[in-house]
Amino acid sequence: MRRVLLIAKRDYLQTVLSKAYIIGLVLVPILIGASFLATSLAFRGNAKDQHVAIIDRTGVAASAVIQAAEETSRRAVAKAPGGLNVMPHIVFEQVQPEADQTAQLLSLSDRIRRGELVLVLDISAGALAPGKEDPPVDLVRIYSNSSGVDQVGIAMQSAVNDGLRRVRLSQLGIDPARFPDILRDVPVVSMALVTKDPVSGQIGGAEKRNPLQAVLVPVFLTILLLMVVLLGAAPHLGAVAEDKMQRVFEMLLCSASSFELMMGKVVASLGTSLTSSIFYILGGLAALAGMALFGVAPLHLLPWFFVYLIAEVAMLSAWSVALGSACNTPQDAQSLAFLLILPVMIPMLMLTPVMAQPNGVLATTMSFIPPFTPMVMLLRQSMPGGVPWWEPWVGLIGMIAFAAAVIWAAARIFRIGILSQGKAPKIRELAQWVVRG
Amino acid sequence: MSAVEISNVTKTFGDVTAVDNLSLTVPEGSVYGFIGPNGSGKSTTMRMIANIFYADSGTIQVFGKARFGTRSDQIGYLPEERGVYRKMRVRALLEFYGELRGGRNVTAQVNSWLERLGLADRANDKVETFSKGMSQKVQFIATVIPEPKLLILDEPFTGLDPVSADSIRSAVLEMRKRGCTVILSTHDMNVAESLCDSIFMIFRGKKVLDGSLASIQASYGSDTIRVEVEGRAPLGDLPGIERVNDLGQVQELRMGQGCDPQQVLHALASRARIASFSVVKPSLHDIFVRIAGPEPQENNVA
Repeated sequence: MRRVLLIAKRDYLQTVLSKAYIIGLVLVPILIGASFLATSLAFRGNAKDQHVAIIDRTGVAASAVIQAAEETSRRAVAKAPGGLNVMPHIVFEQVQPEADQTAQLLSLSDRIRRGELVLVLDISAGALAPGKEDPPVDLVRIYSNSSGVDQVGIAMQSAVNDGLRRVRLSQLGIDPARFPDILRDVPVVSMALVTKDPVSGQIGGAEKRNPLQAVLVPVFLTILLLMVVLLGAAPHLGAVAEDKMQRVFEMLLCSASSFELMMGKVVASLGTSLTSSIFYILGGLAALAGMALFGVAPLHLLPWFFVYLIAEVAMLSAWSVALGSACNTPQDAQSLAFLLILPVMIPMLMLTPVMAQPNGVLATTMSFIPPFTPMVMLLRQSMPGGVPWWEPWVGLIGMIAFAAAVIWAAARIFRIGILSQGKAPKIRELAQWVVRG
Repeated sequence: MSAVEISNVTKTFGDVTAVDNLSLTVPEGSVYGFIGPNGSGKSTTMRMIANIFYADSGTIQVFGKARFGTRSDQIGYLPEERGVYRKMRVRALLEFYGELRGGRNVTAQVNSWLERLGLADRANDKVETFSKGMSQKVQFIATVIPEPKLLILDEPFTGLDPVSADSIRSAVLEMRKRGCTVILSTHDMNVAESLCDSIFMIFRGKKVLDGSLASIQASYGSDTIRVEVEGRAPLGDLPGIERVNDLGQVQELRMGQGCDPQQVLHALASRARIASFSVVKPSLHDIFVRIAGPEPQENNVA
């Protein structure tokens, strides 16, 4: 154990004192801060007028659509924190329909290309009576050079329907003064479940669900886990190949066994990942406290976060060390990086379906597959409603067993790999090293 | 007591037998030279003694104990293909290696060795700033801190300038004086002759020589004439001479069965002016070439 700790201490200090690690550690919060700043600057950019052309082929809808858009904009500005220009000011330009529709649209498209307009709204004559076709025919079209999910585009979709409803109501003889009341949105509030205290039996009232807590916290925790796991484990892949290329291991092997060498590196990875995660978690908690949002911090999940972190880093760093030992150069190691990243990337690719149904068959099954357990189970635990109490424990037992198996197999690969020369082995040969030792 | 006792050890890699049924005894306190051509099994044997490779069959005992799978702080091993963490500073690196081998008072030993090998003023520099020779000195120090009972050096003088080689040589001899057993491999026959108490030669995985230089040479007899002649005279057709080894200023003539040195001297005198003429035992270099040359003429498996 003394040798394992000595090797771990050397590797840990070499990593955390390196410029690359320190820059990487600080860069992430800087990038997050920069993204907030960019968002703020983008809102400031909303001060500029956005010109929209409307071709109203109904002859009656344009003014209603414009009125609806202006009301939406006013409401959004009124609700925005700090007086931010959350909605751009839209300047409408009504364009009379011409006989040659194609030529007119081409001309307006050219104006968009020149930056004179942001979009063209083309409301067809049938838009007031859409009929019952399913799917409905394209009765209103938006022509633009943007993705279609930009602020103006989204605002126009809402404003068009609102405006068309106003016209229909008007055609039914309803007083326009009543429109705001008739069309007013009613807020739909997401609530947590009603609970019963197991000791006192008292039934507690359901609490309002905070969207920040329901979505952002699980996503943040999962991405943080992914990030610190990769920060701790991935560097070994190239570093071990580099050390092998520099012939470092043979001198060490007289003083420490290959297993001690490998475990030293695994422990160093744990140290690196714990250092990174503590830095980020303390920083995150401080940021939440600063924004008076400390209550949304999932403090009850932090012990599980660290348990999953330790298990995942132990698995991946042992695997990373083994793969690195099989390579002759850091370049060889790059080609095997996908084998290292796969166990953490698959859960990330499944993030959306797992969040959509955190207790569905897919999410539950994935959370019991050991390499995926840390990320998927943590995601499920941090979602509103959580998981049955026994599931994390069963997942933990599976993870520990799997981590032990990975370390055992990795040690067998590492022992042969660090002294092997010649071309890098194929996956089949690695499997043979594991089986034959 | 033997420092190392190797009994009937065989080691194979796939279809290649690197070491074939080898037995060898290295006495405690001796300097034992391992010689042999590249790929003959020297490094494999050393790695098995250092417990980096495990023998397929046979036993290896170090100071009376078989060490399969265990590490020993009593062994210092300098491999042929050696490297150290190049990003580390020299002092930190040496202290790390010393502590890894359970050393106490490591800092004092590091300082002493750095001073001795002329690296004290570079102790806080990174290894990557060192020349190859200086790196080798650092690697040597990493091998001898803390001072081992058994020192295994695989081609320790390769790439060193004469001054650096002398400083390592004197360090090895001093450690031997203090009781350390030294096993070293070399391709420099002069080093083997001058430094080693005993010499072991391995060829194609088998032991072909083992003993003191004198005993090895004695087994070949005085079958070599060493001459210096003025000018370039043809020597290959001298009576009874089997082979001429041209060393530049000196020629070594190997006598065949029944060759009379007096007849050779007489024939030679008729061809050239002789500066020196002596009948000697074959050099280790010559013995090596006889065994492992392109056409080995004698396979004296011991």
